[in-house]
Amino acid sequence: MSLPTILFWILAVISILSAIGVVVAKNPVHSVLLLIVTFFTITGFYILLNAQFLAVVHIIVYAGAIMVLFLFVIMLMNLNASGEPQKNNLVKFAGVVAGGLLLIVLVAALKKADTGMLIQGSTNIGLIQNLGKVLFKDFVLPFEVSSILFLSAMIGAIVIGKKD
Amino acid sequence: MNALISTAVFGIFLMISGLFIKSKQAIRILAISGVVAAFVLNIIDFRQYGASATELFHGMLSVTNFGLLFIEIILGCVLVYFLLSGKDLANIGHYTGEYFALIFFILCGVVLAATYGNMLMLFLSIEIMSIPQYILAGSDKHNLKSHEASLKYFLMGAFSTGFLLMGIALLYGATGSFDITTMNLAGRPIDAMALAGIILIAFALAFKVSAAPFHFWTPDVYDGAPTVVTSFISTIVKVGGFVAFIRLFHIAFGSPDVDKHWLLVLSIITAATLIIGNVTAVFQQSVKRMLAYSSISQAGFMLFAVIAMNVLSWQGILLYAAAYSLATIGCFAILMKMKDYTYDGYNGLAQKQPLLALMNTIFLFSLVGIPATAGFLAKYFVLSAAVEKGGLLWLVILAVCCAAISAFYYFRLIWAMYFKAGDCQVEEHAITPAFKSVLALTALLVIILGVWPGLILAWI
Repeated sequence: MSLPTILFWILAVISILSAIGVVVAKNPVHSVLLLIVTFFTITGFYILLNAQFLAVVHIIVYAGAIMVLFLFVIMLMNLNASGEPQKNNLVKFAGVVAGGLLLIVLVAALKKADTGMLIQGSTNIGLIQNLGKVLFKDFVLPFEVSSILFLSAMIGAIVIGKKD
Repeated sequence: MNALISTAVFGIFLMISGLFIKSKQAIRILAISGVVAAFVLNIIDFRQYGASATELFHGMLSVTNFGLLFIEIILGCVLVYFLLSGKDLANIGHYTGEYFALIFFILCGVVLAATYGNMLMLFLSIEIMSIPQYILAGSDKHNLKSHEASLKYFLMGAFSTGFLLMGIALLYGATGSFDITTMNLAGRPIDAMALAGIILIAFALAFKVSAAPFHFWTPDVYDGAPTVVTSFISTIVKVGGFVAFIRLFHIAFGSPDVDKHWLLVLSIITAATLIIGNVTAVFQQSVKRMLAYSSISQAGFMLFAVIAMNVLSWQGILLYAAAYSLATIGCFAILMKMKDYTYDGYNGLAQKQPLLALMNTIFLFSLVGIPATAGFLAKYFVLSAAVEKGGLLWLVILAVCCAAISAFYYFRLIWAMYFKAGDCQVEEHAITPAFKSVLALTALLVIILGVWPGLILAWI
């Protein structure tokens, strides 16, 4: 087994365990901390795939900004284990059945899927230089159009958040 | 792509104008002239593009005259909306410029929905249509129901966007392409991963057009949002979602060996939408909530255009977009002038405001699908498209039965207006001669389209 494969397996095990932990943990703060661990392991995958830019952005945006916001919200709302609303068993049961069915269908579908269809091209595609070229040549329209999306989100923050 | 540029630029322009122009009236007139300008610029564009797709920006947009015609219809409906309900929109709160700017951004999203050629643009168009809606739904800050509508819509919408992205990712994994024309699922045996992707995308889009069983957000959001906003999001944005739906499923997943996998699923969704929308609408006491359920049931009819996949269905969705939007915008414009939103609030409207009652009757006739109105021809086109497709006769029969049910709750309103004695409260000062004449023109347009659909269909 080569070094990348060993690293992949280590990261895979940690990421799945921590992702399960996010859902299972009773304390919301623990959930968020486990989510940060998950994000770091995903960053590890990006580095293994030679996508440095994505890896750095992932750390800065997700593990940095978004997670801090998550923590702020949780602390502001003062959630704790006892404050969690009790769901009745019927709802829980229905949720388990529905989610389980979706899982079975997806697993059954993806088990047979041919995952060898993507042919690996140049491994330098994730480097910043190449990414920039693609972004401003082939994907220049989505790049510009997404500014409208962000602008409307900013307007929303002002319209909803500001005091009358 | 004049329409894309003009809607985006006018959106930004209106946003900034809110800073300098304090008069709500002036901003409203600016917005109306913006729509007119976009309308004219789009006509100029129309001559340059033919029936075969023109690829722009490395295949990000694929422009056809169908797409441009659809944009033209939408811009026309928005013009009617601004003329009828612009004042109410300006008066929701303090941020008049921003409200109009958000409407223009939504229009930008609709333009993208009618012309996208790439999954990435599909995602962006759906999001640009959705996010301003969440804001507009919550713009009435003194009303708790408006807050609830906004939050509910946001959470559910974000969830369904997750489904959309997951579907797109799976499709990319299966085909190695984001481009809807080069995705080419037909050539080889279909992959399980691609199937899961198609189904997830279908669910996400069904959510956006409020098809059952993904409709649970609809009544609460449409009821809670300010009425003038409901009027917009239940018409323009909904048909915008449909054009995205129909283009994706016809162009990317439309070939016979692919569509056999999803046709039954969408047929069942259509049947459920028709039944749930119509049966629940019968039990509503509030006209606003009835119109919310009616928009679900009309979505059921529009889904026929998605599953039929032939020339008739493309024509049908164009006609349906115009007929449904005009009639619903008209109904909401009259609803906004009423003080009481229940059926009883309409009692005796025919004595007090005969013109309003008559116009409302024409709009409701169109929604039911009475001959000589646009709604009849629209329903006729989508249903005959399904008959031509074959194998969907059970669904067509179900749809006709549901149309009969829908007559009950639409006619109940007409009954209240004409045959029940009562003292309905109307905001007299808001019913100006200008409002009445625009309303009459809209009703006239509904009838003209019902007699002469060539007005729209001659262009494709």
